[in-house]
Amino acid sequence: MDARVIVSAADRVGLRHVAEVARGIAGQGSVEALVLTGGGQVLAPAAASLGDVALDVGGLADTVIACEVGEGVLSGELWSAALVAATAEGERAADAVFLCDAPAAREATARTALRLNAACASMCDAVSRSEDGGLVAQRSVYGGVANAEFALTKSPAVCLLTAAPCEAPPGPAVPVVELRLPEGSGTSVRVVSQDAVEKTVDLAGARIVVSVGRGFARAEDIAIVEPLVAALGAELGCSRPIAEDFKWLPKERLVGLTGSTISADLYLALGISGQVQHLTGIKGVRVVAAVNNDAKAPITRNADFVIQNDLYKVVPALVDALGG
Amino acid sequence: MRIIVCAKHVVDSTEIRWDDERGEVILRNLPTKISDYDRNALEAAVVLKETGEFVDLDVLMVGGEAAVKSLKEAVAMGADKGYLIEDGWLDAFDPLLTARVLAKAVEKLGDADVVMCGLVSEDGYNGLTPAALAELLQVPYVAPVVGIKIDDDGVEAVLDQGDTLTTVRAPLPCVIGVDSSMNVPRLPTVLQTMKVKSDRIGRLSLGDLDLSAESLGEIASGVELRACTSSVVERQGVVLDGSPEEAAAALVAKLREAAVL
Repeated sequence: MDARVIVSAADRVGLRHVAEVARGIAGQGSVEALVLTGGGQVLAPAAASLGDVALDVGGLADTVIACEVGEGVLSGELWSAALVAATAEGERAADAVFLCDAPAAREATARTALRLNAACASMCDAVSRSEDGGLVAQRSVYGGVANAEFALTKSPAVCLLTAAPCEAPPGPAVPVVELRLPEGSGTSVRVVSQDAVEKTVDLAGARIVVSVGRGFARAEDIAIVEPLVAALGAELGCSRPIAEDFKWLPKERLVGLTGSTISADLYLALGISGQVQHLTGIKGVRVVAAVNNDAKAPITRNADFVIQNDLYKVVPALVDALGG
Repeated sequence: MRIIVCAKHVVDSTEIRWDDERGEVILRNLPTKISDYDRNALEAAVVLKETGEFVDLDVLMVGGEAAVKSLKEAVAMGADKGYLIEDGWLDAFDPLLTARVLAKAVEKLGDADVVMCGLVSEDGYNGLTPAALAELLQVPYVAPVVGIKIDDDGVEAVLDQGDTLTTVRAPLPCVIGVDSSMNVPRLPTVLQTMKVKSDRIGRLSLGDLDLSAESLGEIASGVELRACTSSVVERQGVVLDGSPEEAAAALVAKLREAAVL
């Protein structure tokens, strides 16, 4: 089975990931990476130049389709207009469109799927071919309790894929062709101002993550883990109640379904009960250790090493043990 | 001004388990509630109602009789009326179909200036319904919103896109996707919810929306569940006993042995 697949993403890692997945189903067909430019910048994926993107997708995509959207800020509405135009370009209509999850990508996915009357699957971990040649999407469901497989029974298929790294080496650069946005494409959402948020937390790339949960009685108690985080050279993470309900830590520290998925060597869960939505975020961790004085907490069945004791006593003891 | 919040009645996602014997997810007989992310949308809408003038606030919810409880809770939070859309056709993994029905219901209620939703639902976790609703209503979509001001010219919203905070303006009507970090939803008491009179809850059948089970089958998104497997990751589950000091020393030894320190 050969297919023509259009891929697009808000960031360079995401674009390489969706291009790699698309390569897996394209056969002798083509993989085309749609890149949005506007206001003199490369907007999606955010990059210094088109040349960088053309190298990124080398060996994965066949071409880069560059589309000028005339705005300096990524708009889901214009992104969708460009995707729909790209699917209709060329000798055959596209069989599939793959995007990588990001806020504007969700809007682009929904609008594109409706405009193309396409099959649509969200939050896919993988898309592959079934034995009968149809497309099959794999995704985690119900907060990560189960993995499900969905057949995509209409053509084209529009799939939103979850972010994941791509191991393929970049390059050589692929050719860039231009696509004009159709007449009348526009958005009534106007950008007033934009401020970069300084990112100081990198949970996805951390080798060791120490994470705090509801076992901490007060926001200020979280300070007791600082020496441990420093001793381990770890990144500090947290569970959903801490970030979303109590708001004791910013959302960028959230581990789990609604936050970061991590692939650390070591995950140390302190006072975290281990709801399935949280466990979903640590599936790729090599070793999980937990401190929780509730023997019935789900984390005890989902950790490699468990200390069933008072975390307020265990945390300083761990700092001492590491120093010795 | 009229605000419509689309909220989902869901099975409490923290209670969902995999049944090893039957090889399936257990969804029956579990507690149900308003999806957490939609509570943030409700809270944001109630604040707009409290601080604005002449704001009507209605809530749309898909579900069976059990969802009436959730609708009453939404009214107890501060909504004027709740509307139950007959379920039976709902597919947690076809958010575009959900959006098609919600769009019909929004049009039926009429004159919405702002439609507000949570970014995702606790059960489907697709994240596509609000944007799909905007596409079907042919209005702009503004998300993930962490701040909102509404005036005669439209909405001014602050969007948290991870690495940037963007302030945008959009004309009304529009669909707003509320980020869960925007607020802490109020929790009405059981008594407040019980006191909500039945005449505050309306009902919309598929027929009221010019839809039917057959017509919905024709506009479904072509995403069919084929297989479902447990996603449990096997871990060692070694419990380290002793005093905090002994257990801590044992853990550090185990982690050094596993070469992760």
